[in-house]
Amino acid sequence: MKQSFLLAWRALVRGHVLTLLLVATALAHLLLPALVRSDGTAEGWREMFVRAVPGTTYAFTVIAILACACGFFAQERERFRLSLTVVRPASAVGVAFGKWLALCLVGVLVYSFTAVLTLVHVPDPPPCMHHFAPTLPSPVEKAREMMDEYLANPKTPEFVKKAPRSAVLRLLTNKELDRYDVVRSGESISWPFDASLENATNMLVRVRFATQFDLRSPLEGVFTLGGFSAVVSNKTQSVVNVPLKRGEKVERVERVEKVEGLELKFTNTGKELVMLRPRRDLEVLVPADSFGMNLARAVVQMLVVTALLSAFGLFLSSALSRPVAVFTSLVTVAVALMAPSVVIQFPDEVETTLSNKIGLLITRTVYALTSTAGEMEPVSALATDSCIEWGELLKCTLVSGVLLPLLLLGATAFIVRRKPLADHS
Amino acid sequence: MSDSVIEISGLRKTFRDFWFRPVAEAVNGIDLTVERGDVFGLLGPNGSGKSTTIKMILGLLTPTSGTVRLFGLSPRSHAARARLGYLPELSYLHPFLTAKETVLYYAGLSELDGRTAKARADELLEQVGLKEQANRAVGGFSKGMARRVAFASALVSRPELLILDEPTSGLDPIGTREVKELIGRLSADGMTILVTSHQLFDMQDVCSRVAILSHGKVVGGGRVANIVEAAADKRHALEDYFVSRLQSSGAVQRVGSET
Repeated sequence: MKQSFLLAWRALVRGHVLTLLLVATALAHLLLPALVRSDGTAEGWREMFVRAVPGTTYAFTVIAILACACGFFAQERERFRLSLTVVRPASAVGVAFGKWLALCLVGVLVYSFTAVLTLVHVPDPPPCMHHFAPTLPSPVEKAREMMDEYLANPKTPEFVKKAPRSAVLRLLTNKELDRYDVVRSGESISWPFDASLENATNMLVRVRFATQFDLRSPLEGVFTLGGFSAVVSNKTQSVVNVPLKRGEKVERVERVEKVEGLELKFTNTGKELVMLRPRRDLEVLVPADSFGMNLARAVVQMLVVTALLSAFGLFLSSALSRPVAVFTSLVTVAVALMAPSVVIQFPDEVETTLSNKIGLLITRTVYALTSTAGEMEPVSALATDSCIEWGELLKCTLVSGVLLPLLLLGATAFIVRRKPLADHS
Repeated sequence: MSDSVIEISGLRKTFRDFWFRPVAEAVNGIDLTVERGDVFGLLGPNGSGKSTTIKMILGLLTPTSGTVRLFGLSPRSHAARARLGYLPELSYLHPFLTAKETVLYYAGLSELDGRTAKARADELLEQVGLKEQANRAVGGFSKGMARRVAFASALVSRPELLILDEPTSGLDPIGTREVKELIGRLSADGMTILVTSHQLFDMQDVCSRVAILSHGKVVGGGRVANIVEAAADKRHALEDYFVSRLQSSGAVQRVGSET
């Protein structure tokens, strides 16, 4: 493993891959900030900067490392060097693992460099925030309830009753995710939240109106959570942050729905009705730790993605030629990025033709395999000051940074040992 | 314990296309035994199946049928690979590594510990005359120098069986003589060597036994000493024997008979 690591490391250093990535990172930090346009606030500038600079660095580093991984075994085989390696007693797993570690080390250096430059560029960043969503029953649970009601209802059309259960469930789950709560003028609504918020001393409510349709509506009213409350009056912004303050108890208004535990109550004091999707538009934010700590966790997430893609690239290069491996890996990454929206937007009804069926089957398979890694959005979390939770980080690291790469490296070693390594001459 | 280092029986290799249709019968039923201490020459014209046979001996190709045993073991077993050294026809070195790093890389793959590997690399680079160039990248080496580095890499683990595919390819006459002397020294130390070459003069000098392949079959062979003894022209004994075996197998026509 050590020799394989040294070989790959020397290839990356002496082939100037590492130097080019570090220079590109430095240039990105030097040039891109001049191009960043924000809404004029420090928060807006920071968000744009993080998306533009560390985000760009992350993207080109991942692609460069993936391309290198796709070439390692393929080029060695094409130039007949792999045969000299596999006739030695060294373990093929060790050989694959050594190359993978070298690729990961390049990621560590580039991302660490990016992190240091980011800290230099971002003055006095605020702490990142824990995000709490309403503790509602899971959308699938609600979908099942709705489905049982539909099936029991004699007015439900026969074609719905005969439709595949999985398709109907998927539609109902999406419907539940996008369900709007409507609050008319003078009315109140409550949503349950994690009881641990009771101990928080500093909170804010974040309301988003960021749908693909512009459903932004004037938000005028009062939020109450435990002993905290805040008055909100917004007519322009699509994301509204409402800091809650300890104050006088707001007069109780009739609830729309009885909830258990700690509740966030909104009373609409405006003249127009307010529509909110509780699962997508509403969060309570509590300060977590520093921007620097969150940046460190984001770097770990970037590394996890890089480690997974490196292992995938090595796996492809063990079986395919370099151009085919690069093409396959990039297509897979593109499908993985598109998969969540495809899976949500295209229910089974579309699968009327064979090509649609095959396309959706591939997309759903890629989605199922990559969803754990796809949940990691380090740049987005950093840009919006969202705390990357330790539990979430640990889970992603174990699954996408350790388990999946080890499986891929095992498969790589198997192919390296088994694939014929000779020309026909 | 058997004294056979390589045992090949009924070995066949058929290459197939994407649709699994046979496109070439590269090896067509070979039986061979290489004894401990032999310098065994595998001779044959281009396309006779020498390289394919060597790749099956190395475990790089899976035989269509038949068996290959190295030291009584599968060629893909760890124990067999630990006792094997291989010099391919072309050197295939990593151009960004120095000569010393190259030898150390293969020493590491052969599971030598760091100190032993370093000492062995220094010793071998001195033996092949590259001590002064040890820290130069091999990408800038001439074909002959690269060949020497590859030779040193093949020998780094002190293998019991050394497989040399065209070892003098790309070498000048002095380099060729040095390789022949080296093979002689290694053989005297008890190493078993399997060698392929088109240089029949050289083979006659270094080999103790030969097998001649044509169209994937063994068409002749035996002890070189016996072949030389039976020949009228001792100097060209192996060459004459080689041509006569190919003629009798139909691989070549008698010189002058084509008109």
